Amino acid sequence: MKRHCSCGVSSMAVHGESGGRDAGANLFLPRKAVILRVEQPTTMERHFTLRLADETPLDFEPGQILEVGLMGYGEIPLGLASSPTRRNTFDIVVRSVGRVSQAINRLQPGDSLLIRGPLGKGFDLAMFRGHSVLVVAGGIGLCPTRSLIQYILDRREEFQRFTLFYGARDPQQQLFLKDLAEWRGSKTVEYFETVDKGDPGWRGNVGVITILFPKVKIDPGTKVVVCGPPIMFKFVIRELAKLGIPHEDIFVDLERRMKCGVGKCGHCQINDKYVCTDGPVFSFAEIKTLEEAL
Amino acid sequence: MSDYFINEKDFGDFLKRLVRARNVLGPKAKRGHFVFGRIENPEDLRLDYDVTILPPKKAFFPTCQDLVRFDGDQVSGCIDPVDQVLFGVHFYDVKAIDMTDLLFAERGEDRNYTANRQAATIVASSIQSVSPRAFWGSVGKEVEPKGHDAFLTKVARGYVYQSRTPKGSALLELGKFRKAEATELEAARKADEAVKKKCPETLKYGAAEVAKKVRAAFPDEKLWERLSERCFSCGSCNLVCPTCYCFDVQDHWNVDQRSGARTRYWDACLTSEFSKVSLGAGNSENFRESRGERFRHRILRKASYLNEKLGGPACVGCGRCAAACTADIADPVKTIREVMEAAS
Amino acid sequence: MAKARIAFFDFASCEGCQIEMTNFGDAAFLELLNHVEIVEFREALSEKTTEPIDVALIEGSFTREADRARLEEIRRRARVVIAYGQCAATGGINALKNHQTDYKEAVYGQDAGMPHLDSDKALPISVVIKVDYNAFGCPINKYEVLQLLSHLVHGKEPVIPSYPVCVDCKRRETVCRYHEEDHCLGPVARAGCGAPCPASGVPCEACRGLVDDANLASIEKVLVERAGFSASRAAAKRMLWTANQGSESK
Repeated sequence: MKRHCSCGVSSMAVHGESGGRDAGANLFLPRKAVILRVEQPTTMERHFTLRLADETPLDFEPGQILEVGLMGYGEIPLGLASSPTRRNTFDIVVRSVGRVSQAINRLQPGDSLLIRGPLGKGFDLAMFRGHSVLVVAGGIGLCPTRSLIQYILDRREEFQRFTLFYGARDPQQQLFLKDLAEWRGSKTVEYFETVDKGDPGWRGNVGVITILFPKVKIDPGTKVVVCGPPIMFKFVIRELAKLGIPHEDIFVDLERRMKCGVGKCGHCQINDKYVCTDGPVFSFAEIKTLEEAL
Repeated sequence: MSDYFINEKDFGDFLKRLVRARNVLGPKAKRGHFVFGRIENPEDLRLDYDVTILPPKKAFFPTCQDLVRFDGDQVSGCIDPVDQVLFGVHFYDVKAIDMTDLLFAERGEDRNYTANRQAATIVASSIQSVSPRAFWGSVGKEVEPKGHDAFLTKVARGYVYQSRTPKGSALLELGKFRKAEATELEAARKADEAVKKKCPETLKYGAAEVAKKVRAAFPDEKLWERLSERCFSCGSCNLVCPTCYCFDVQDHWNVDQRSGARTRYWDACLTSEFSKVSLGAGNSENFRESRGERFRHRILRKASYLNEKLGGPACVGCGRCAAACTADIADPVKTIREVMEAAS
Repeated sequence: MAKARIAFFDFASCEGCQIEMTNFGDAAFLELLNHVEIVEFREALSEKTTEPIDVALIEGSFTREADRARLEEIRRRARVVIAYGQCAATGGINALKNHQTDYKEAVYGQDAGMPHLDSDKALPISVVIKVDYNAFGCPINKYEVLQLLSHLVHGKEPVIPSYPVCVDCKRRETVCRYHEEDHCLGPVARAGCGAPCPASGVPCEACRGLVDDANLASIEKVLVERAGFSASRAAAKRMLWTANQGSESK
């Protein structure tokens, strides 16, 4: 008997046929990617470096997302955490919060993942080139913005001043430790960091991310990227208003529940926008009238 | 294409040959109500139906549908359209199919839907009975149905069959059709016009006015809270809606524990889980936490958000949501009236 | 992969959920036995064990202090504990007595004084031990338990629906009970069963308990307005399997 699905509800009036004769491209068919390296910066997060199994480069823009999954477990949307300028590999960071992420975080180098994408709209680099850039990243908000940070560092001459604010809950929650060490001493990025709560070994700033604003002068023409927990946006945008940054120059990277990643399933909607296809990067001007955005 | 006529007494023969030749899906009775189902016996076809419990989109977008199947490391798609004739679809459902056609095809075509859709033939039919909650006579008048392959209208002594596409004309050979006379066409036109005035409910406002005011009412949380006070968050209004197309995706293993499928299920934005994300350690965040927020999202989606894309509201006036809502709070006519009155 | 060791235990219950598991007898269950080893199962096996187990399926509610130690012992031995069946998950039908004083006389008549009938409130086992997952229902949906075990075999958190039964009815295109002048608790009842009762013309009695955010005020109103119930019957109606849930339980 041919069947349409495997849900076990047999009284369905309409069960079309199926059997594997594929009638065209299937948006839901994933590609295999091999895990090259795994790091565990915190107890909750694992950082994977991947390559497509067919060894072709993944063609993406900073800020785009992937649906990453395992058959039998499901898929989760993740921002690409590396820049396309970095060789033929790409990075993702997975936080163990649900059934899919927990399964992924058990994988080891050599294992495979299934990905779909890149999906959605990333950072409009044409808007950023020739300008100063400020990235404000809170918590795991550093993961998707790292794709832009790396890009700017790799093509530094295309941009003016580059400032990076990073806030973590505490020193144990900091991600990309090697990057942080590099940025702290770097002359190509003005890096500022803070933690909400310090520990005995912490000598840096303590406080929410907005305490970093008085530490550096941000030019009014700067393009700003904000990514972090929902609560952070409101306060950061208030600071940016004080600096006279126009809403068109503020870009936010949003997160929502997502199932399909291709603008159909409806879960990621904020008002009439789909985070997966209209975003995940939006200009603040674009979303400030959307009550459900921030 | 062209317009045809078939006698009442030849119509039964046509149906007999049709169900033998093709995979036919049409309205049939179920416990005093109607559903679209496989028609194997022409007597089961109830063209006098008022409305079906679920809309006919289930023929292309089944309530659960495997998207990808796996067996060990092997992963394969399962797009495999089946030829089917949807016979007796009312014009409001054709309009809704036009909308889902557009929404599944835009920004990345979802072949899991469109392949099924393209393989189907849709024969629309005139409305012979009007359901108690219908308001298709007054909503979205700016949008005409266009996705059907033929339109069948019951007139005196027979049916007018207006073929619009080669798929619609392909059915002609199965019956004793002749070219329709001008008087028959006029009778069909009049019948289809007349029935639109018979809806028990009427939306008294124009789409543009509704879209604007309903959107502007977003911040009125008291209003949405009041409208949704009795809401069960059961999603029935979504699940019976012909223009809703949200879905959940779940993976599962077959009992062999090595093969399985990734399957999509019709989902409902009125349910509390719909916008919930897990934050780990038992914590979660719900982007539409309250009944009011979810209720509002549905109304805005039907009356405002998609209007530009669709050329009118994402509501066709079938009244299914009103009938399916156990608390009887989902009726768009009543809800929109309340929102409009609150706004003025 | 070593087979997962599974054991079934029962407390205050009719053991109907165990019976339901033995009703499987079909390919699905036999296939599952390739992946799990059942080490204790009163309705089908005489063996008993004291060894560690991977998954303990516990049936029945906690009604006697004397059962505490046995529950704790199971918890110590088990990697995962599943409360299966409504008695274990919420107290189920047993919890009706929590709201009555004359239940012993009503049920046992002149034998009501027999000491073995003494028991306290019927409570979910989660009041004594940590429960990892609930398999709701009176009885359980054996296919759901199968899925649960299948997920655990793969180390995946099971998906336990928390939407109302109406969702399943709509997906099956069932004629709503309220459209046949009947009543139904579907709008507040937890789904996951596939809604077989309304599909057979029988109202849902919420045997899987209430959804997390059940609108109880609204269902009472619906029972009065649409099903013609008296206010008191409307309030009592939904209690059959949900007496420990909602405001009354507090």
